[in-house]
Amino acid sequence: MPPATEAVQPENKTPSFFTVPTPIKALFDKFPLATYPANDIPQRSPFRRQENQLFVFSEPANARHGRPSFNPQCLKWQAYLKFVGVDFEITPSNNHASPTGALPFLLPSLPTNAPEAIPSHKLQKWAIEQVHCEEEQQLNLRFEVYASLLDHRIRNAWLYMLYLDSENFNAVARRLYVIPASTNTLVRTTLGFQLQTAARDELLKSSSYVDAAELEADAASAFQALSALLGEDDHFFARPNPGLFDASVFAYTHLILEEGMGWKRNRLATLLREHTNLVQHRERLLRFF
Amino acid sequence: MKLQLHVWGPAFNLPSIEAQSIPPSPPTGELPALQNGSVWVSRFRNIVDYLRKYSNGEWDLDRDLTDAGQADNTAFSSFIESRGQALIDLSLYVSSQNYNGNTSPAYGALLQWPNQWIFPPKLHSAAKARTEHLGLSSLDLQAMEEERQRKQSAAVATGQIPKNFIQSPRETVSGLLGRTAQQNHFRIDALTGEFFEPLEAMLGKKSYLLAANETDSPASLDCIALGYLSLSHIPDLTQPWLHESMRAKAPLLSAYTERMRLRCFGQAPVEVAHAFEPLSAPPSSLPWRAPGRLSVAAVGSTLLATLADSTPFLRDIRMNNRLKQEAESEDSELNPIERNALSMFADASKKDMYVSIATVVAGTAALVGYMLHAGLISVTTQSEEEEEDEDFEMFNPGQAGDFLGSLGDTGIF
Repeated sequence: MPPATEAVQPENKTPSFFTVPTPIKALFDKFPLATYPANDIPQRSPFRRQENQLFVFSEPANARHGRPSFNPQCLKWQAYLKFVGVDFEITPSNNHASPTGALPFLLPSLPTNAPEAIPSHKLQKWAIEQVHCEEEQQLNLRFEVYASLLDHRIRNAWLYMLYLDSENFNAVARRLYVIPASTNTLVRTTLGFQLQTAARDELLKSSSYVDAAELEADAASAFQALSALLGEDDHFFARPNPGLFDASVFAYTHLILEEGMGWKRNRLATLLREHTNLVQHRERLLRFF
Repeated sequence: MKLQLHVWGPAFNLPSIEAQSIPPSPPTGELPALQNGSVWVSRFRNIVDYLRKYSNGEWDLDRDLTDAGQADNTAFSSFIESRGQALIDLSLYVSSQNYNGNTSPAYGALLQWPNQWIFPPKLHSAAKARTEHLGLSSLDLQAMEEERQRKQSAAVATGQIPKNFIQSPRETVSGLLGRTAQQNHFRIDALTGEFFEPLEAMLGKKSYLLAANETDSPASLDCIALGYLSLSHIPDLTQPWLHESMRAKAPLLSAYTERMRLRCFGQAPVEVAHAFEPLSAPPSSLPWRAPGRLSVAAVGSTLLATLADSTPFLRDIRMNNRLKQEAESEDSELNPIERNALSMFADASKKDMYVSIATVVAGTAALVGYMLHAGLISVTTQSEEEEEDEDFEMFNPGQAGDFLGSLGDTGIF
């Protein structure tokens, strides 16, 4: 018997796990029933991009006036681009819109030879190419060292305060991240749950249990160190103009001190207000917005 | 009452295998832990704080520091803890040859049955989880790697770098982040450079990291540095890339680590025998005390606990209970508000867990229903198939969390 018929034979056996049931296959064989022409671009999308577009987490009303984003990562880059003098517009967005799955990202204005989105980790390089500002990491060996305070100690305390403190989570995080994402209660519940789990997992990476008192103590010592680093200067590292480090600090200090966030319990603000130079630093930079 | 410091035992000729320096004997389940009578203090910073209070400020290594010095002390400690931990995780745990050839046997020598089979894999997976997301805002590997690759190809094209220099040893860190060996090599190069260069510049020709002049004494930062750097400086690993890059990039720092090690732990290498048989072993400069033998009951409870912890859902229930206990125990150092918050958090995550159990049950029921309907399984073979599917479904909640976690790392947080 030729081998071809042998190969065909097993198909007549009982259906395996992977075969598509016949009615469903028949249904899908009918597709596509008709192909329509592509939709027009929505009215609100700019016809010709005149400005650079920065996509961040933001409320639409605030975005129109270029107000600060409510997400520290987004606010950091928003502030940095403002400080170095790049012109851009704010577009409210969410993770799913981003090519990398993370906000912020930037669509450069036309004409440009590379009309593609710039993710956050390449924004500094792009800004340096645009306005020829300095790469500040190279100027001071303490830059990366003190940045670790923000990336770890303050970020961990922030994660705890925003996501794991249930009163704050319901008053702030649900309002800002969960409710705009969907109108479906089930989706909202799941998303809220996933956010809290992700925050908890993040904190458990560095310790075997979550100790709120220790997180706060760490944040307090971090604020103290940052305050000592700033000293009497207007900007960090005694620079004449604010830069990336100022933007990174501002991203947290502004959101912690901002009344509009609606915090229910804000221990970090109490700790931060002990250092008047950091509070003044935030107020100085807020004038840029 | 003498103070007792409970630590992970010696390995690699160092007094402890852990940088912050668990068998689960302390109530907090973490090492290092300091015991003074009935008081237990765990984690390095808490121990430093406790010693300062205990001695009324006398045992405070940082008391002579200026404000700027204090700030540097905090910032560099945080820097070493975050970056150094990642490198040690990569070197001792994620590099599978080092883990299998050195780390795992070292733990084996320290622990008694059955802990030697239980703890190393736990630490291994924790280290992998910690280093998984090296795309922290400050550890921008992707961009750096692309830039380096561009430079590399340009350099090769112009013949500046000999070909055999580019080819990094394939097996060095294979499996790390699922990248090719060359890419790994450059990532590691960038990571170690970022870690060692500020420390090397800070140390300079001084005897301690924060010393202003010759007569200064070490600060608590030097203790942290000694912990992390001496583990980075272990020479006799199967793949000593961390040791090599430390010697190449930071010669002063290597000498400092060696000097501090001799000063603190003495001339003779610290061996496991010192910790377990202090009387018969050769003399050591550290006052060791052997741990007690494990009782049958302790072995049994460890086995049970591990079994429970590796069962999905049972693990979550146990974690919540531990949290709640911590929250409600009177002697925990939490104030009433925090205690309330923690206990509410435990309750909430318990609710979350019931929701996910319900989801899994519903999902499994739907799948089985579909399979019955489509005639994929008949009733006689159902029990066997169902079990397999259930296992599969049970892991889903975790995967969903991971997905969001990866978004969260760079996005929402």
